[in-house]
Amino acid sequence: MTQAEIKLCSLLLQEHFGEIVEKIGVHLIRTGSQPLRVIAHDTGTSLDQVKKALCVLIQHNLVIYQVHKRGVVEYEAQCSRVLRMLRYPRYIYTAKTLYSDTGELIVEELLLNGKMTMSAVVKKVADRLTETMEDGKTMDYAEVSNTFMRLADTHFVQRCPWVPATENSDPGPLPPAPILVISEKDMYLVPKLSLIGKGKRRRSSDEDATGEPKAKRTKHSTDNKEPIPDDGIYWQANLDRFHQHFRDQAIVSAVANRMDQTSSEIVRTMLRMSEITTPSAAPFTQPLSSNEIFRSLPVGYNISKQVLDQYLTLLADDPLEFVGKSGDSGGGMYVINLHKALGSLATATLESVVQERFGSRCARIFRLVLQKKHLEQKQVEDLAMIPAKEAKDMLYKMLSGNFISLQEIPKTPDHAPSRTFYLYTVNILSAARMLLHRCYKSIANLIERRQFETKENKRLLEKSQRVEAIIASMQATGAEEAQLQEIEEMITAPERQQLETLKRNVNKLDASEIQVDETIFLLESYIESTMKRQ
Amino acid sequence: MASRGGGRGRGRGQLTFNMEAVGIGKGDALPPSTLQPSPLFPPLEFRPVPLPAGEEGEYVLALKQELRGAMRQLPYFIRPAVPKRDVERYSDKYQMSGPIDNAIDWNPDWRRLPRELKIRVRKLQKERTTILIPKRPPKNTEDKEETIQKLETLEKKEEEVTSEEDEEKEEEEEKEEEEEEEYDEEEHEEETDYIMSYFDNGEDFGGDSDDNMDEAIY
Repeated sequence: MTQAEIKLCSLLLQEHFGEIVEKIGVHLIRTGSQPLRVIAHDTGTSLDQVKKALCVLIQHNLVIYQVHKRGVVEYEAQCSRVLRMLRYPRYIYTAKTLYSDTGELIVEELLLNGKMTMSAVVKKVADRLTETMEDGKTMDYAEVSNTFMRLADTHFVQRCPWVPATENSDPGPLPPAPILVISEKDMYLVPKLSLIGKGKRRRSSDEDATGEPKAKRTKHSTDNKEPIPDDGIYWQANLDRFHQHFRDQAIVSAVANRMDQTSSEIVRTMLRMSEITTPSAAPFTQPLSSNEIFRSLPVGYNISKQVLDQYLTLLADDPLEFVGKSGDSGGGMYVINLHKALGSLATATLESVVQERFGSRCARIFRLVLQKKHLEQKQVEDLAMIPAKEAKDMLYKMLSGNFISLQEIPKTPDHAPSRTFYLYTVNILSAARMLLHRCYKSIANLIERRQFETKENKRLLEKSQRVEAIIASMQATGAEEAQLQEIEEMITAPERQQLETLKRNVNKLDASEIQVDETIFLLESYIESTMKRQ
Repeated sequence: MASRGGGRGRGRGQLTFNMEAVGIGKGDALPPSTLQPSPLFPPLEFRPVPLPAGEEGEYVLALKQELRGAMRQLPYFIRPAVPKRDVERYSDKYQMSGPIDNAIDWNPDWRRLPRELKIRVRKLQKERTTILIPKRPPKNTEDKEETIQKLETLEKKEEEVTSEEDEEKEEEEEKEEEEEEEYDEEEHEEETDYIMSYFDNGEDFGGDSDDNMDEAIY
């Protein structure tokens, strides 16, 4: 784990779970797999705190445990999973676009709580939806269950591994930690539940609240007397499936930008047909015949078969090679080259970074070297039609930024510099890695700056929150306009200005984080796909 | 070894390769050598592209900020324990700053976690460490009730300790509701600073006056 990744993980854990969890988590990421006592000793925290932190981390799938010999349990942190926390809003938004508000809330609950049983999720989501509906309307559990089942069918949520039920009643002393297993076919199996009920609205004059003092209600709320029908079956969000969806989205929009809407629809259809049949790490999808594609086109598109064939030929001949032709049976068998597509997307990202950082002439040189693979200094000047001095300058700038690298080809065995060719080349994999590392650093900087800005104006923020609370309570008790005006004037105009600036800055920083995360996704997908092929 | 030192003095300025090949002609002005590390915030040559605006961007932004706020309120956000201040204050009793005795606020499924992660809640009495596992056979609760009543009588004589009261409250969780309410009343009675046995509820007021009849009765 690089230092940049560790720093970013530390910031994310601290923001979402607090300092204790952050300390334990970062220690585990740094040192690898360790047992409980060693963690407590090395970090200097009390055993109880370590236990609390580990419970939270395991619940959120950030730490896994393994039983070693002699009953020692070792805990290991998953750094890449911690970095996924940046992408939670994007997952939730995707669920909203696919399955509307119900799906959005289901995925949000699962992400916030790590793992949950289906009945708990359904109940909570129904309650939340009922809150937002008009008075008198409630959300039925059945509807929420339906959406949950659809999410499971399309593999967006999956079951967590569980303890296998042992046949014999008394297996002897209990193992120090349960061994959790899951089989492929059970992963998306929804238990048959008949959840009947409606969402409850949380009101102060609720029938449930009368007669019971509030303290006891919170203590007993988790203590259900009825047995939960799907006890022990926990669900979690399937992040890989979301990543597959993002990748498909990126490819479709790339095709739409390069060609036109119809070709992007064709590519989208092809990707949809191979969603479940293609494993996520495959370099290309299963071959699809032109007839199949024609049949599966969305209903609105009435293009003739010939036009479809023409489009497919065009796509296959495109130098970007998103679509390839793998055979002629069935009117032509076509595949989508996922690995090549990811490579093109990563390359496009690199080009765009060079352009924004160094200027469009540098970008021209960069694209030239990409295209020709290896070029000498003189050739670069000639082909790019840029004067020698400037070309030299730009090449060295890119070289020191590690976008371009030098390849030495010696003419003589003694590698004398005067008798060696020095060729400029772009190594996409290493440039992508360098850029990814930089992205991690950028996000860490953005988060730190945001925290700094918020801390600077903490006093002002607290004051404005208090004023808002006062105004809200006064409105509830029916105050007059003049009194409200008076309270609002407690915040002076320059203070209001300051608050506005703060809000704008924080929004900008947040939006930048989201943007950098999209780049991280593309680069990580490309690197992962390349590593799997080797 | 000798030639190395000598080479430094003699052929200074000679490079191992031909400068022409790199592209620096004879007599060309070389860029100034760097005497300090590059500045921390170098001036930007090109302004960055504006962030994508639009409904989707704003919605995801709002989601992000809401999530951040929401996660701070969940029980998974563990706050470090409030450090003990110099003097024990009266208000400390009424401010429940954290979960009792380092236990966690939420109930994970203990069947899925290693056994060593379960936190045991200690009683103040060092002889008995009670473990809050619901699998305890019911007869032990009766023993605990008797000892608790004994403890309460003892408490009136001793000083009150905050954590012990919290443990009493926690122990009441295991019993049924009516008993809890009874205990609550007694707890509240004991929180006063007055020793209960000194309280005279006036039952034997009439008996005292028989001794001296010449004094007026008010």
